[in-house]
Amino acid sequence: MTLHLLYRMLAVCLLIPALTLAAGCNGKKSKAARDFAPQAAQPAEAAPAQAQNAASRPDQAAAGDAAQAEALADDDLDAPPPPSVYDPLQGWNRFWFTFNDYFYAGLRPLVIGYKTVVPEFARTGLKNVYDNFTFPIRFLNALLQLDMTKAAREFGRFLINSTFGVGGLVDLAKSDPNLQPGDEDFGQTLGYYGMGEGFYIVWPLLGPSTARDSVGMVGDIAANPLTWLFGLWNFYGEDNYWYLSYVISGGNRFNRLPEYLDNYEAMKKSAIEPYVSMRDFYIQYRQGRIEQ
Amino acid sequence: MTHTMKTLLAGFFLVLLLPASGLAGTPKEALQNSVDQVIILLRDPAYRNETTRPEMRTRLIETIKGIFDATELSRRALAANWNKFSAQQQQRFTDAFLTLLQNTYLDRIESYSDEQVHYLDEKLLAENRAEVSTMVSGKGKEIPITYRMCNDGGWKVYDVVIEGVSLVQNYRNQFAQILMNQPPDALIDMLVKKS
Repeated sequence: MTLHLLYRMLAVCLLIPALTLAAGCNGKKSKAARDFAPQAAQPAEAAPAQAQNAASRPDQAAAGDAAQAEALADDDLDAPPPPSVYDPLQGWNRFWFTFNDYFYAGLRPLVIGYKTVVPEFARTGLKNVYDNFTFPIRFLNALLQLDMTKAAREFGRFLINSTFGVGGLVDLAKSDPNLQPGDEDFGQTLGYYGMGEGFYIVWPLLGPSTARDSVGMVGDIAANPLTWLFGLWNFYGEDNYWYLSYVISGGNRFNRLPEYLDNYEAMKKSAIEPYVSMRDFYIQYRQGRIEQ
Repeated sequence: MTHTMKTLLAGFFLVLLLPASGLAGTPKEALQNSVDQVIILLRDPAYRNETTRPEMRTRLIETIKGIFDATELSRRALAANWNKFSAQQQQRFTDAFLTLLQNTYLDRIESYSDEQVHYLDEKLLAENRAEVSTMVSGKGKEIPITYRMCNDGGWKVYDVVIEGVSLVQNYRNQFAQILMNQPPDALIDMLVKKS
């Protein structure tokens, strides 16, 4: 048992210096590093894309804004096709995109049944409990991003919701505008330290991700209290409940499926190239999250 | 006396102008004006039942057309490819693209249920381009929506950014992918078929 725990602690402890190292190599928020993959291939249109990103950031000086806006004014007509995402695994990705699509279609009746049987407030309650329980992931990542405001916010939310919110069932803290829910994860932390997204990848069942976010996912699993509580596999034939890690996080995913499928279907309805649309949604969304 | 007359007249002209063109001083005002009109339509009890729904949809489309710059939206979504389209193709593309957007987003707009729209800030990007950020809250969720607008005889929307995802950029990537190995007409056909 002690060995088991020690092993897990070691894994997490190793992760933190690795992250610090990544930080040291790239410096803080180096733009070039962050966007290395797509822009290395197409340097010409990197400029308008950056200008667009920069223009939407609130902390820019007004003068800088104007200059960037100038650059943007004619971006669309003169620029070559937009910077496409670095997607060398398109064969694999398209296969799993289609697979996931069928998988969702198959799940649909189940999800609709679930949605009718379990009312919205109960689903939100379950989601709240899970989110409250996994607070260490967001807290740790806020700390790693040196964002004390976000860390304090997560901590405050955890305290309030765990006590007065009945173990997280009710998100009481949300009524305070300073205690809005966050979603920090390791992928964002890596992005904060200047790591580019690398290549795009679609995982079976889990859906779209990037090389960076996949590494981040491993970090999130390591920081997830479920992993600490139950482990991820049967260790030395011990009598543990490792499968509960999967059952609970899988259950949480299923609980969120009604909303996810609604969005997914809206995306499919609006797109003429769903694979590209989904890829772009994912990349743009993650970039927005990292910039915040 | 003349003063009151003037104010009255000015007010009268304003009332005449506003609904027609969505014209207003600032981009935020123009946007707010149109969004308010849409919400009034959606809240109107006269359109609650099935038989009056099509009429509401027509009026919704009218209002939305007034605030969106369809050509600018299409031009930006096609980016460099815009110039490879003939004038006639550009027109057909714009029409088809707008119909697709209408069909996909009107359902969502019509599922409106008392969400609140908060106007956050307005930022000039250039002399004739601006960004208006809003927060739509309802059902325990808050969704940040930013409108990018340009001024070409009145402020009009050319891009909508929902939770950090730009609509124009999303379509730009799709269109670029298709146009890589297909002619403009094929893309227009796909749009028409989809909507």
